Amino acid sequence: MKHWLRLNRLALVRTLGSMVRTPVNTLLNLLVIAIAASFPFGFYLLLSSVAAVTGKVPVEPQLSIFLRNAATPAEIGKLKEQLATDGRVAQVRFVPRDEALKQLQERVGSADLMAGLTENPLPDAFIVTARLGASSAELEQLRDTLARHAGVEEVQLDSAWAQRLERLIALGEVLLQVVVALLAAALALITGNAIRMQILTRREEIEVAKLIGATDIFIRRPFLYMAALQGLLGGLAACGIVAAALSWLNPAVRDLAATYGETFLLRLPNPAEVAVVCAITVLLSLAGAWVAVWRHLRRHH
Amino acid sequence: MIQFQQVSKRYPGGIDAVKQLSFEIRSGELVFLAGHSGAGKSTLLKLIAGIERPTSGAVLVNHQNVSRLSRKALPYVRRHIGLIFQDHKILFDRSVFDNVRLPLDIIGFSGPEVRRRVLAALDKVGLAGKESLNPIALSGGEQQRLCIARAVVHRPAILLADEPTANLDRDYAHDILELFKSFHQVGVTLVIAAHDESLMADYGRRILRLKHGEFTA
Repeated sequence: MKHWLRLNRLALVRTLGSMVRTPVNTLLNLLVIAIAASFPFGFYLLLSSVAAVTGKVPVEPQLSIFLRNAATPAEIGKLKEQLATDGRVAQVRFVPRDEALKQLQERVGSADLMAGLTENPLPDAFIVTARLGASSAELEQLRDTLARHAGVEEVQLDSAWAQRLERLIALGEVLLQVVVALLAAALALITGNAIRMQILTRREEIEVAKLIGATDIFIRRPFLYMAALQGLLGGLAACGIVAAALSWLNPAVRDLAATYGETFLLRLPNPAEVAVVCAITVLLSLAGAWVAVWRHLRRHH
Repeated sequence: MIQFQQVSKRYPGGIDAVKQLSFEIRSGELVFLAGHSGAGKSTLLKLIAGIERPTSGAVLVNHQNVSRLSRKALPYVRRHIGLIFQDHKILFDRSVFDNVRLPLDIIGFSGPEVRRRVLAALDKVGLAGKESLNPIALSGGEQQRLCIARAVVHRPAILLADEPTANLDRDYAHDILELFKSFHQVGVTLVIAAHDESLMADYGRRILRLKHGEFTA
């Protein structure tokens, strides 16, 4: 155990030494890793900020049922009864056409709304609040059932915009997965290549070490340390880049939100997310380095 | 200590480097390996160290069949062998000290023990006080000594030297051979390959003569 720790300490010291000796190379490698990792991470934070908004807006699923002018009282009564017994419906309010007109006049603030019109153009309507937590599929099904009812002119699902946003976010999440997969592969290739260059510059040392009795593990160890360190620093730099970029965007986002009367800011990375990002970049770097060393050792055995 | 049983080595392309060699080197023996370049001296040394595997036959070192060892086990056998390469294989990106310490790092020596052993090895080969130099600053003969220091720093039981006196003037070559003699006196088994037989005559040891991969009288 002591022996093992000593070998590891030695490898770590050598690794730090060689990284410090070639600062430009080290810095370039870190930047490439950081930029590659900052794309999916920044995208993820944007998505989660926007998703938080849709959670905040009360997506109270509401349906407006507009009746035909020719609907008979019997038809209206039957619809009312059906709505009262439907499990998906939480609350029903009947808005007669006269009341709707009054409300409209109040809102617009003009008594002359009817000037030039011989009769009230608004239909009778039911405002239905669906049970909270109803899925969009259930709501659409409810809308279609109601639309088929005799006496119903049109049914509007008022939460459609919120659902569209939700779907857009779901699309973004799939996009995120694709970006993550691509850039993860790129990251492993980049670090693998960086380690391969390191191996080439230390080819003689590896050859001599092997000839005088070094195990594969001994040869691999400093390169794995280098990869892990590059991954860690690259991951931290990625978080820095993302935090800086979002902070830079935030004043503009705040101004935009203000025009909607909202206060909204893009979320910055939290410590748990930083840890996850670093863990992922470290693991990918290790994977890339492992393959690079393995290939070299196999070829030169 | 070292035993060859009907060992042949054929390189790709059909060149037989050594043919049906059988011999034994006892523990503590000093053996010279003579022959022109291309006679198979280097190949024979590489077979002992497990750097090359025989096409047929068995190479036994310390009763272990080196030619059958797994990739994982081979490094541990090599740690009992000190290698002095024909092309030195000195690393010029580090000091004399760091060149010599490499076998100790591989085996896992630490701290003061490393320093003590490296300085002792450098002292033994006559490079005391040059530990912090870059090997590029050493003369050809000094580089040869550095190579020897690296080969003996972990006190291997077997020392294999491939042309250690090549490119050295006669006096210097004798110094190097005296150095090997001193290792022999403390019980190290030595196999020294050289093309110049006149040097070996002064030492009156066993000489294995190779020609085209076979022993000659």
